[in-house]
Amino acid sequence: MRFLILKAKAFIRRDFQIESSYKMNFFMTILDSMIILVFFYFLSKLVAGGESRYLSRFGGNFLSFSVIGLAFARYFQLTLRMFSESIRAAQLSGCLEAMLSSQTGAVTIVLMSSLYGLISGAAQPLLILVAGVLVMGVDLSHMDVLATLLVLAFSILTFVAFGVLSAATILCLKKGDPLAWILGGMGTMLGGAYFPIDVLPQWLQQVSFLIPITYSLEALRLTMLRGYTLEMVARPLLILAAMAAILLPGSLALFAAMVRKGRIEGTLMQY
Amino acid sequence: MGAFNRTTLHGVIEWHISLRACMLSHTLEPSPNFILARDVKMQFPVVKRYRELLLHPTRPRRVVTALKSISLQIEKGERIALLGPNGAGKTTLLKLIGGLLLPSEGEIVVNGYNTLRHNDAARKSVGFVLNEERSFFWRLTAIQNLEFFAALDNLSGKAMNDRIRELIQFVGLESHLEKAVSTYSSGMKQRLALARGLIAEPEVLILDEPTRALDPIACEELNDLIVERLHKGARKTLLIATHRLEEATRLCDKVLIINQGQIMAFDRIADLTAKGISLSEFYRLNVNRKTL
Repeated sequence: MRFLILKAKAFIRRDFQIESSYKMNFFMTILDSMIILVFFYFLSKLVAGGESRYLSRFGGNFLSFSVIGLAFARYFQLTLRMFSESIRAAQLSGCLEAMLSSQTGAVTIVLMSSLYGLISGAAQPLLILVAGVLVMGVDLSHMDVLATLLVLAFSILTFVAFGVLSAATILCLKKGDPLAWILGGMGTMLGGAYFPIDVLPQWLQQVSFLIPITYSLEALRLTMLRGYTLEMVARPLLILAAMAAILLPGSLALFAAMVRKGRIEGTLMQY
Repeated sequence: MGAFNRTTLHGVIEWHISLRACMLSHTLEPSPNFILARDVKMQFPVVKRYRELLLHPTRPRRVVTALKSISLQIEKGERIALLGPNGAGKTTLLKLIGGLLLPSEGEIVVNGYNTLRHNDAARKSVGFVLNEERSFFWRLTAIQNLEFFAALDNLSGKAMNDRIRELIQFVGLESHLEKAVSTYSSGMKQRLALARGLIAEPEVLILDEPTRALDPIACEELNDLIVERLHKGARKTLLIATHRLEEATRLCDKVLIINQGQIMAFDRIADLTAKGISLSEFYRLNVNRKTL
């Protein structure tokens, strides 16, 4: 356990050192989020003065609805991509082989390579929420903090599981991960990141219930905007917990199996 | 009754001993050899093209055989030079011994651990000096890189700092510690790779064409370093893949010649010299010899 903590620190320190050597990158990422936030601010003026019948379940305000979607959908997408991107970056940089020849296992390497991204990436939703509340008047005064944190924790675990699955896919396909496309791009549209899924045709709504982001965003909006308690968001929370419980060990086992297959077939370092 | 009890007791003790031996055999192979390869075959599958995928989706993938039934025994402390033409299978064999690849058939045992069953344990005995210049984080300094790789090898705190300082002195990079690796020359990167390979104080050090990209002076300096510090200091088992015959003669006491995935010869350099055969002659003879 002590070595795991030390290794986690080493990965975080390494990524911080690399990231801080690119001076502008962090600021540009933040600026990018802020620009999209401003875009949604003006867009909300078009939606019947910011009000819509589709939004009544979430408090009725489009700006509040889209700020939550913007903040967390981007973070969940980042979580989803982080693992496969860190593997591909290590393959491209030539460092994967050097890391794999060390005394640290492949699963530990891939999980820890994503730690810094997950931590630093959390700055984005936080800043979007702060800007939303302080500058644009989004009302989070009813938020149930405990329920929100629990929904967030289970959502992250679920997306970590899908992220590891995506990394396993990348080890096999090298490029063009269908899982990231389905859950990332399609998930944003079908999962109700920027508009409620109620506006979708019935058959597409059925599809959206297969995507974890639908449950995450719905529960987060209800706990943050309407103050729903744990009992009131028990259903999406249980679905997320079940997904995480099943997928997390499964995805880690699959990833370890893909690493072994890559070692036998000699494809581990190919990209 | 007493005889029965003695027999039973004797049986139980024997059973216990055989069970213990059986349990131990999963980790410690009963072999005096430090590195052991038994009938190792390595095949790489070839990616199917669209045409093959469409016309024959169920047909198994074609394979390229990199190593054909290799068997090998290396004693502790031996220094082996792997020679052979490009594509002969030298790097594949080194990666198999280093646990980076797993054999398609056969098995490799390093320091008593089978790389298929106990890959992590087998890797603990091996330090790998990769010939890939890009195997470092270029935006980090030498010390930052070494700190990171030391943590992966379970080193921390004072022990880690002392080890890194010792290795930096060992490879002569003291004055370049705080410079980003991107500013290093090929020779400096190779020295740093040597330092990284030695971080965990491995018993086996694998060097894959360590002087491939180096000019003659840098090459000589690196070889001096290996001779002075690794030969005269802690006597490690060395496996060096190289195309330079003079390097093999200088650094190693045995040569292993591979061609088309087969071992063509495995002899002591001293024995060849005693017979009046030059390494160059011996190499040419074995590489031109038809493989089975």
